[in-house]
Amino acid sequence: MEVVDVRPILAPFVSFLCAGLVFGFGRSIFWRRFFTFLAAFIKVALVLSMLPGTLQGVVYVYQFVEFTPGIGIGFRADAYGMFFALVSSTLWVFTTIYAIGYMRGDRDRVRFFGFFALCVSTTVGVAFAENLLTFFLFYETLTLCTYPLVVHAETPEALRAGRIYLTYTLIGGGFALVGAVMTLNAAGTLTLAQPGILGLESGVATLAVIFLCLIIGFGVKAAIMPLHGWLPIAMVAPTPVSALLHAVAVVKVGAFGVTRVIYNVFGVELLQQLGFATPLALLAGFTIVAASTIALTQDHLKRRLAYSTISQLSYIVLGAALLTPLAATAAVLHIANQAFAKITMFFVVGAITRTTGKKYVSEIDGIAARMPWSMAAFTIASLSFVGVPLTAGFITKWYLALGALQADAWWFVLVLIASSLLNAGYFFPILHRAYFRPAKEPWPPLEPGRRFEMPKTLLIPIVICAAYVLLLGVTAEVPGMPFSVAQVAVEGFFAPPGIGP
Amino acid sequence: MTGPWAEALPWVIALPLVGAALTPAVAVRRPRAAGFWAWGVLLVTAVLAAGLVSELLARGPFSYELGGWPAAYGIELRFDHFSAWVLPLALLFVVIVPFSWRYLDHVMPDERRPPFYALLLLNAGGMIGFCVTGDLFNLFVFTEVVSLSSYALVAVGGRGLAAFAALKYLFIGAVSSLLMLFATAQLFVLTGSLNMAEVSLRLAEVGGGTAVMVAFAAYAVSFMVKAAMFPVHVWLPDAHAIAPSPVSAVLSGMVVKVGIVGMLRVYQIYYGAEVLELGAFNLALVWLGAVSIVMGAFFAIFQDDIKLMLAYSTISNIGYIVLGLGLASPYAVIGASVHVFNHALIKATLFLAAGSIIHQTGFRTLSDLRGVARAMPQTSAAMAIGAVSIVGLPPTAGFVCKWYIALGAFEANQAPFGFALVFGALFIFIYYIRMLNAFYFQKPVHAAVAQASETPWSMRGPVVLLASLCLILGVLGGIPLTFVEPAVLDLLPLWGP
Repeated sequence: MEVVDVRPILAPFVSFLCAGLVFGFGRSIFWRRFFTFLAAFIKVALVLSMLPGTLQGVVYVYQFVEFTPGIGIGFRADAYGMFFALVSSTLWVFTTIYAIGYMRGDRDRVRFFGFFALCVSTTVGVAFAENLLTFFLFYETLTLCTYPLVVHAETPEALRAGRIYLTYTLIGGGFALVGAVMTLNAAGTLTLAQPGILGLESGVATLAVIFLCLIIGFGVKAAIMPLHGWLPIAMVAPTPVSALLHAVAVVKVGAFGVTRVIYNVFGVELLQQLGFATPLALLAGFTIVAASTIALTQDHLKRRLAYSTISQLSYIVLGAALLTPLAATAAVLHIANQAFAKITMFFVVGAITRTTGKKYVSEIDGIAARMPWSMAAFTIASLSFVGVPLTAGFITKWYLALGALQADAWWFVLVLIASSLLNAGYFFPILHRAYFRPAKEPWPPLEPGRRFEMPKTLLIPIVICAAYVLLLGVTAEVPGMPFSVAQVAVEGFFAPPGIGP
Repeated sequence: MTGPWAEALPWVIALPLVGAALTPAVAVRRPRAAGFWAWGVLLVTAVLAAGLVSELLARGPFSYELGGWPAAYGIELRFDHFSAWVLPLALLFVVIVPFSWRYLDHVMPDERRPPFYALLLLNAGGMIGFCVTGDLFNLFVFTEVVSLSSYALVAVGGRGLAAFAALKYLFIGAVSSLLMLFATAQLFVLTGSLNMAEVSLRLAEVGGGTAVMVAFAAYAVSFMVKAAMFPVHVWLPDAHAIAPSPVSAVLSGMVVKVGIVGMLRVYQIYYGAEVLELGAFNLALVWLGAVSIVMGAFFAIFQDDIKLMLAYSTISNIGYIVLGLGLASPYAVIGASVHVFNHALIKATLFLAAGSIIHQTGFRTLSDLRGVARAMPQTSAAMAIGAVSIVGLPPTAGFVCKWYIALGAFEANQAPFGFALVFGALFIFIYYIRMLNAFYFQKPVHAAVAQASETPWSMRGPVVLLASLCLILGVLGGIPLTFVEPAVLDLLPLWGP
């Protein structure tokens, strides 16, 4: 059931407005924080207010303006979009708290928070895009808005990272544009509201080019190997940026795009006939293992996390490419599961760097004694990535394995097992050093008058996100939790064509 | 059946031309009054143009017979959908002129203002006349009015290089005008008429033949020179970079479009007559367009002077338009026609913003202007929006044309050109990202840049307004389509790729 409602456009607009206000009045610390928080909470409230409807199968739509005859800038909050919007708007709140603590005294905070808000605005815009054109508009805007954040430090290294980032993402964007244009030519529509708009009558060769263009276009941000080169380099950005953008917003927009292409542009049935998804699944499987192997060798903490992100993102791609309902459930769920666990890790690593100045794995021996809360949170997140039951990661792996078996692709289960072992291989040494090695030199003592290991603005988001990882793992089946939304989304993907969700 | 506004058709040409003639008299005591006078004249012209467009939307294309002589014998003015271009043209002038009031302080002494504004009004009148005339000889006359005033406007800056650039512009422009006169004469001899509609009808009787083809080729080459296509672009970069910035905005945004609108007029005549098979010519246009895109970007990469960079990007953008025209599929031609306006808007934004920066700091190269964004945040933001826009990245006005032309390329089964268009545009971004990096993310090297102040509001207002329009038209991309779509759909049934 579709209901016309203004909320799908209000949600991105709130943070857009916030960005404008921050640029205009952001020199005052008070107003900057006030606007950012106000917008973050209004946005979460807006998205949450649509949740009950979504669970009952209501889809909120809003057509904004006509761009091309028949194709407008349209917004549509279906279950999958809602899922993604929920994750990114919730995490915006926590990241804002964290960023305020982390960026204290840093340079150019007006620019930082302004573009930060713009990025969130475009991410939710992507989530609620009704058609591929709207999707593309927000997708490219996101690229541009993240550039000032990546080069925030303005060092030659940061500028180089920014250049590489733009090269990858803009070329990717070019492919996505060509793919969208070809789709419009072949299908006559660009809507993402149907389980598939293309048909065999366009010819296999054309369909192959479209698939390739769209997957390259969105795969760049999803960091599918060999398109991942920008991600580890872009880790030069400040940690809150890495956390929100390179573990959640930018990369997830890519993964979200890949799933939209598979389920809403091509559709399960067509892809099963064409068989394009199998090479993609193989590539994703390769990425999972290869990126994890590279992560083993990284000593720089953020780079190790970056390669772990590359590996984890391909879980989503793999889940989508297997084309079975259970695997699709895993793909959708992993958007939230990976986001919360990875953001916890980035927060912790940023806090370590901020408190002690350490950036390398080999430097953090015995840090658990100095920062017990952070390391506890890090442990939970690591366990989740390894896939230990009662954590969020287990749910993903379980459904992904079931989905692989459903697709008669048992070898992917081996990939998953290998990946779990590799995850353990690069996260547990960090834990081992932190908990069981003696400190090489005494850690700097707590600042006087402080009860906890670091400012509360840093600690609170860490604790909440880690707790949420556990909550996601334990209460998966409780109605209203992300799992139920994911199920509604997956039902939409596998609905018979023509009826729509 | 015509409405009251149809009577305004001759006035929309006469007003700026008469205004130009009167400028020195009006400003005889106070030279600075010339700027306000020119602005007032253009404002009234814009109102008239708006009236004409409303008439067009209400009742479709209409004609005006000068002196009451019926078409074919007398001089006909014709206002069709392509003529609607006069409204944005007049509006852009209305925005650019206030910018020039303060800008000219550093360019010329006060007593030279009246001739400057007279030339600017002549230029505007010439372009408006060019768009609404229904007569081939007047098409030539108005081309000359535009060209001659443009040569003078380039030279008006007054330094040695300006004179040289103007002279180069004049020589090449004169050859192009001669070709146009030759083609006009040729068609007159063949058909015995100068009225465009009449010529088209009689050409059908004359049939094909070498003479008809030569006339077409002469027109095509002449308009390509005016539009500064690669490889006949050599006059453009110096002329546009050396002229005062408001003039650069006019030249780069609008005067080069005379070539495009002229090409569309010639298409109207020849497609109506169905005498020539233009498939090969269109294919040549597509190739030339693609080469222009790449070469314009390629030259621009080596420039350090920001105005030269902008001048070269005009060549790239004319490449888009010509590529779209050559593809000859509905979407591609729509995209090209929309870009005629959008590019004018974007280029005006960029040249005025660049002019502001040069005006406030006294520097004009990227390496000198490092860190200018901190001193001039609003102007730099406008420059950034313009840069993103000219590369055709969403959500800006430049994306609209890229979307349509790419769509048109695939529609016409010319997929390689679709790819060339999309990725050629990214190539252009290489030099704009250098500019944005220099402005925003590098340390100032000159104290004058670090301590520069923002421009006065008479300069900042137009820049901010134009930049906002670049963003707004990126989202509301459908608006220019109201005029462009009917015109293109009229033209295209006859248009075979």
